[in-house]
Amino acid sequence: MYFITHVGLIFFMYPTDIIESASRTHWVPIFIGMVFHLVFIWIYMKGLSYFPGKNIIDIYMEKGKGLSLIFLIPIIGYFFLANITTVRAYSEIINIVFLSETPLWATMIPFLFIATYIAAKGLNVIFHTAFIVACVFLPLFLFIFILSFQNVDWRYFFPLFDIDYSFISNRSYYKSFFSFAGVFLFLGFIQPYHTYDRKKVLLSAILLLPFFLFSVYVPILTFGQATSATFQFPFVTALDSVYISWLVFDRITMFFLISLLIFIMIFLSLLLWMVSSILVHFVPIVKHSYVLYFLSILIFIICVMLPDWKVVEKLFWWNTYFRFYVILVIPFSVLIFGVRSKRKVR
Amino acid sequence: MVKLRLKLIFLVFVIVTLTGCWDTKDIDHRLLPVAMGISKEGEEYQVILQVPEPVEGQMKNRIIKESGQTITKTIDTLSGNMESQIDLLHVKVILIDKQLAKEGVKDVISGFMRSRDVSSNALVTICDEDIEKFFNTVSNDLDVNAINLFEFFEKNAGWTPQIALTRVWQVYRSVHSYTHDVAVPIVVSGGSTNIRHMGSAVMKNGKMVETITPDETLLINAFKEESAQGRVEVSDHASVLIISNKTNSKSNFIDDEPSLENVINLKVVLLETKDDHTIELIKEELSTILQERFDGMFTKLQESEADILGLGQHFRNKIPRRELKDWRSKYYQELKMDLSIEIDIQNTGFLKSNSSDLSAN
Amino acid sequence: MGEVSKKVKKRFKNYDDFFQQETYLYKEIVEIMGFNTLINIPKTKDILQEYTKSVHTPDMTLDDFLKTIGEVKEGNIDDAIQSIFEGKLIICSNKGQYVVVDPIPKELNRSIEPPSNENVLQGSQSSFIEDLETNIGLIRKEKTSEKLCVNSYSMGKRQNKKLALLYIEGNVNKDILSEMQNQIEKNIKKELQNQQDLSNILGFSPWLTMSKFHTSELPSEAVKMLLQGRVVLFIDRLPIAFILPSLIWDMFTIENEHNYPYPLMILIRVLRVLGLLTTLIVPGLYVALVAVNPGVLRIEMALSIAQSRQGVPYPALVEVLIMLLILELILEASVRLPKSIGPTITMVGGIILGQAIVDAKLVSNLLIIILAATTIANFTIVGVQNSLSIRLYKYLIVIFASIYGVFGLLAGMLLIIAYLSSLKTFGVSYLNVNLERDVIKR
Repeated sequence: MYFITHVGLIFFMYPTDIIESASRTHWVPIFIGMVFHLVFIWIYMKGLSYFPGKNIIDIYMEKGKGLSLIFLIPIIGYFFLANITTVRAYSEIINIVFLSETPLWATMIPFLFIATYIAAKGLNVIFHTAFIVACVFLPLFLFIFILSFQNVDWRYFFPLFDIDYSFISNRSYYKSFFSFAGVFLFLGFIQPYHTYDRKKVLLSAILLLPFFLFSVYVPILTFGQATSATFQFPFVTALDSVYISWLVFDRITMFFLISLLIFIMIFLSLLLWMVSSILVHFVPIVKHSYVLYFLSILIFIICVMLPDWKVVEKLFWWNTYFRFYVILVIPFSVLIFGVRSKRKVR
Repeated sequence: MVKLRLKLIFLVFVIVTLTGCWDTKDIDHRLLPVAMGISKEGEEYQVILQVPEPVEGQMKNRIIKESGQTITKTIDTLSGNMESQIDLLHVKVILIDKQLAKEGVKDVISGFMRSRDVSSNALVTICDEDIEKFFNTVSNDLDVNAINLFEFFEKNAGWTPQIALTRVWQVYRSVHSYTHDVAVPIVVSGGSTNIRHMGSAVMKNGKMVETITPDETLLINAFKEESAQGRVEVSDHASVLIISNKTNSKSNFIDDEPSLENVINLKVVLLETKDDHTIELIKEELSTILQERFDGMFTKLQESEADILGLGQHFRNKIPRRELKDWRSKYYQELKMDLSIEIDIQNTGFLKSNSSDLSAN
Repeated sequence: MGEVSKKVKKRFKNYDDFFQQETYLYKEIVEIMGFNTLINIPKTKDILQEYTKSVHTPDMTLDDFLKTIGEVKEGNIDDAIQSIFEGKLIICSNKGQYVVVDPIPKELNRSIEPPSNENVLQGSQSSFIEDLETNIGLIRKEKTSEKLCVNSYSMGKRQNKKLALLYIEGNVNKDILSEMQNQIEKNIKKELQNQQDLSNILGFSPWLTMSKFHTSELPSEAVKMLLQGRVVLFIDRLPIAFILPSLIWDMFTIENEHNYPYPLMILIRVLRVLGLLTTLIVPGLYVALVAVNPGVLRIEMALSIAQSRQGVPYPALVEVLIMLLILELILEASVRLPKSIGPTITMVGGIILGQAIVDAKLVSNLLIIILAATTIANFTIVGVQNSLSIRLYKYLIVIFASIYGVFGLLAGMLLIIAYLSSLKTFGVSYLNVNLERDVIKR
């Protein structure tokens, strides 16, 4: 679950941002991001483990309504913006890549419709769906992922050690954290329904590393850095260059993209579910599903209103503030609360 | 709940039926050109498309032509004038007029990469004659099998190792890359085989700067470890069939002087011999011929500053990136190339052949 | 003639198959009555006479005898009437007392036969029949275990329909079982005639497109399910076992496969999964590739499809829907037809119609191939109801594919997966591999 939602996020925006942010030795920013990621997941899970059977809403609610508002509102804001940008960006991708004449609103409908449908059925259904989807689509995805190495020229890996730190000051680098930050919060929401093994989560996070790495390196290895930097979606273009004469289908890119899009839909439904469950906590009179319907219609309207890609990128950037808040504040605060409550018990 | 859901589904259906389906256009209402020719006349692009059309159960080729300010505009005008919509997704071969190639194809190629209308796997070739004439001769003779032109380049069909295979994305890469250029095959129509391969053009930054012969192209393919299989080589005394090839290279960078040692291993099978010569002699002869050919070509390439062999790649870990930008103009010129070709005669066919040991007896 | 028998006779005035005969027991006249359509009268009489001999003691009277064979009732004839309808025999003495006894019934059940809907290759050939007791007996025969428990219910107000609930103690999930028992007892007054009534009694939504019951007519299958901890329901006069909860994996497995070597079993199951995927995807893929994303096809393929579609007057979606409809009609017709005419319709429908429709350029011949593949693949799925559901889902995918192409195709798949995973029977998700319950806190 953790794995596939991440995979969906990695392959579009991440390579673009990383390639944009550094002109060489891309593995350095990737590793730094990855380590960062692992650390805050660990902190977060450590914090959560002090509250067995409780989700973060319960945890914050215990500390008082005001405090929980302070903590949870940015989360809502983050999820909400993330939802908007994802829906918009991915339907834009569909539009660019294969349905060039279908209007945007029409491509957004299945996205939101399916995501809402799944979210309305609850967390268990999201999990079951994710499991089956993984069974059906992951083999396809991995197959194409391996094929993408067809045109790789390993010499583009070099130079290895001429490390360039300019990415630290680059905006795009911080945008790339979208791929890390989106998903991990859900670990805090599932507590009463599911238990998870912390080691397994960390393991799957580590398993993601090759995907992070190669999502960036495959386009670089095929095209070279200078060329990759000119692409909007480097990995997609790199896939396009794959040519296999024995396959029935010509453009395997499409199948790759679509299986990613399916993962993204699950991610969206997860986001929607989280937002609505937070909202329901604040306004307990309304039914969960109505909140969901309302949210998805709202998102739909906003997405249609956004005029162009530039605005989406701007939103993406605004969301970065929320993102870092989410990455930094939430895990630490949970940890601190956890440690304090443990002391009290003693 | 159920009612609400039913209503929702009903609503979706109504929306769908009212607005229609946007991208839906049946395959028989689309024209699927397989080859596209581009030339430039003054400021205007001229685009020629070869469209296979089923006519009474048989495939017939149809050539359509239009000119306009940009390629997309031209296609659009064509689409408007045709009974079906033109869908460039299946264009497999792009023929570029030699004149246009010399002026540079950067914009054209970038356009293809941007819009994704044309598959980035399409092959790029250069046509050394009037494109319209080329299309007319080719398609007149090839009306039985419409996709012949494309099969000429297909690796599991008509391709042979002395044809350079270059796809749109590779050309695009060469436009931007510091260290990689491409060779693009040149074709003309005519002869009993319809298409004649004239060698390759060397494209540097999207411009054609030099031409090389088919034999030289073979060397390039061998060097890049593209297969050189199945190719017959002739020396003065024998002809051999190459069955496998392998390249080893070692790069050195001392005092701003790049040098490269290369060994190309060829495994060959003896086909024909003139008189009785020892295998050693044939080997030596072959290797000298190839080496000379390579050296000749390499000097030519160095002069034109085009690195179609991708030699710069070998120095990526030796030359700092800032300076790598000047690879073509600065280092490439000074590159010392040390190529040796080793030939193994794997077998001699059904006949025994003299080796030096035997002749000593 | 006694008071009782008169009343009864009056009640059964309009029932010509009602009989009333006098016979002698212990030298006294008694009347026996019942339906001659349900009771084998001569045999019953024989048995009755024989029985009197076997329990004969010198000072036995008729009254004593009646007491030994059943509860002696007087006056109120309601019980008698009810029993007669159930096929029982009433023995009525002159004093107005009567006893209800089980007679030798007329043979109204077929014998145990090989299954007619689920073919078994090299396996147990017996299948369930209409008689409830026989069915339970078949299961007891298959699984001789003290843990096999049977609960019987008599459902309905007007008619009494028997419902039996079987489970294996120790294997079954207690929560599921008690929840089911509660549901049935709560709705015990509801009429029960068929599966729809049953799902109504168990509180399922009537609008489900995927049956929540796994049905089977094979005792071996039912026993396997019992051993897995599931619950089997029988309705009297239906030769099927309703197995609850149903899981997705049931679509691909048959108990009988365990009679094959392990690798072959796996291969067969993989084949079924492929069959499912083919049924779902292929028609949609055709629409998607032909109408929306022809770029995905190889050029050779694209050209040959374009060629075969030349002159077809309507869009791919309509083409597919028309042909699917015709195929469904053929299928439905061949179910209705007697076995002797069945092959004819296959011939006419399949070959002649198929050939003609292509020649007339109403559909492309590629489509015929695709639909044939789809239909064949559809029947690899285990269970008639399952394959019906899958047949339904493919339309959803076709419509999605016609709008969004390949993307719609896979999005439709996702929707179906989501729908299936939202199905729950007594807390067990349809997509579970085992019978673990989802713990839900709402």
